[in-house]
This record gives sequence, structure tokens and C-alpha cells, in this order.
Amino acid sequence: MDANRLSQGQLVAAIGAIALFIISFLPWFGVSGAVTVGGTTVGGSTNFSLWESENPLDIYLLIVILVALVPAVMSLMGDGGADDGLAPMATALLAGVGTLLILYQVFDTPGDAGRKIGLFLGLIACAAIAVGGYLSMQETSGGERY
Amino acid sequence: MIGRLSQGQLIAGIGAVALIVAMFLPWIGVSGPSLPSGITLPDGASAGSSSENIWKGPTLDVYLLITVVVAALPALLALTDSAEEFSFVSAATFLLGVVAVILIAVWLTVDFPDGAERKFGAFIGLGAAIVIAYGGFKAMQEEGAGEI
Repeated sequence: MDANRLSQGQLVAAIGAIALFIISFLPWFGVSGAVTVGGTTVGGSTNFSLWESENPLDIYLLIVILVALVPAVMSLMGDGGADDGLAPMATALLAGVGTLLILYQVFDTPGDAGRKIGLFLGLIACAAIAVGGYLSMQETSGGERY
Repeated sequence: MIGRLSQGQLIAGIGAVALIVAMFLPWIGVSGPSLPSGITLPDGASAGSSSENIWKGPTLDVYLLITVVVAALPALLALTDSAEEFSFVSAATFLLGVVAVILIAVWLTVDFPDGAERKFGAFIGLGAAIVIAYGGFKAMQEEGAGEI
């Protein structure tokens, strides 16, 4: 395997995808509460990773990760595949929409749960995949306007 | 104006209209025990069954709205004489339609809340997403064997 086979866009998208996969296991949302009984306050908090929160976002971001990684893996294995620009476009489009969906979750958390570090890191990683896909699109088309 | 649309774009547009309508229909129902006669609940409380559309659920509503907008884009552009400006729309419609089918199918099977009931709106939404994906695929074929 030779990393030089990857274009700059593919490399950025692949690094973003690996980062997003790791980040998906960090806490994304948190719920905390406290109860006072007889003058004694008992409190607790629970954090949820992307996979633990009941949200279709986990499946969507898994699809984004796979779409970003597959072209990079195929290039690394020496099979560039059909160079028709569909894969970079799919990466840019799906990751762009994914970034919007995560951004929406930042402002509208499920069940008014608290925002945790994974949510913000996931937003950055997904945006990086979108940028990588866009760069890859430009490299494939030679600057042709989409 | 509709005559400027290809068959695939037209199918995707019809799917988009069906999906936006389906999003306002009941997708999920929750049934509770009914109250014995003679018992009244305080104001604001309710018993029995209730249905909710997809706008009450998390995230899927936003994604499906984006899919609707992209699938309906050729029809909207045809109204402004600029349908030739964005050649990637058919591929984007196909892609977003396929992912919408996957997301709705997973939500209906794996992710569906325990004890809740699947309502007809969810199945109409799934059908509409399939129509959008097929329309996008057909439009891609019509534009030249998937060329972007």
C-alpha cells in the first residue's frame, strides 16, 4: 500500500472518516438530574455516544464514513475504479448533508439533553469529510464547475 | 414548463410531493390503557392512543426535507428556465433517495421505539423515497449512462 496513490481530497476525506468513526464512540449527549429527599440531594448524570442515542443519525453517519473510505481503500489497493466523479460527489454531498444534520442537533438536542464533546468533534470531522469530497471532486473534474 | 422535465425528473418530483405529504401523516402511534367510565383526567392529561407525524421525531425529518428539496429541484428550476445549470442534481436525487430508503427501513425495523405502533404514513414515506430514488436513477440514465 502506498499513501501517495491517494489524492489530497481522498486523504482529507479518509482521515475525516476515520476520525468520525472514533469520535462516534465518545459522549455526544448527556442527561443529568438531581432529587432532594429529606434535605439530602442525590444527583447523577449519564452520557450517550452516537450509537446509544435513539437517533437515525448513527446509521446515516455510518453510511457517510463508508462512502468516504471505500474510494480511498480502493485507490490504496491499486484499483482506482471508474473515475467518473460519482464517488467524490457522493462523499461531498452526503457529508455536507451530515454536517447540516449534526449542526441541527447542536441547536435542537433530542429530549433537551446536554451537548457533549463528541457532538462538536463529530461536526468538525464530518465537515472535513465534506471538504475532502469537494477537493476530490475538483481534482477529478479538473476544476470543471458542478 | 413541466414538458421540459425528463421522465426521471418528473417521477422524482412526484415522489418528492408524495414524501412531503406523507411527512404530515401519522408515522408512529402510541396506545395506552383506556380509562374506566366515570373517571375524568385533569386538564392537559390524556389517555388512550395517539399518533404523531415525522416532524416530532429526531433528525429524520430534516434529512427527508433536504431529500424533498433536491428531488423537486429540477421542477423548480424548470419554472425559472435554468434547468440546465446543475447537471449533478439527478445523481444527488438518486443518492439521497437511496439513503432515505435505508434510513426509513432501519427506523421501521431496528430503531423503532418499543411498544409503539407503525402507522401508514411511514409506509407511504418509504414508498415515496423509493419513487424518488428510482426517478433519480432514471434521470441519470437519461442524461447519459450516469455521466455527471
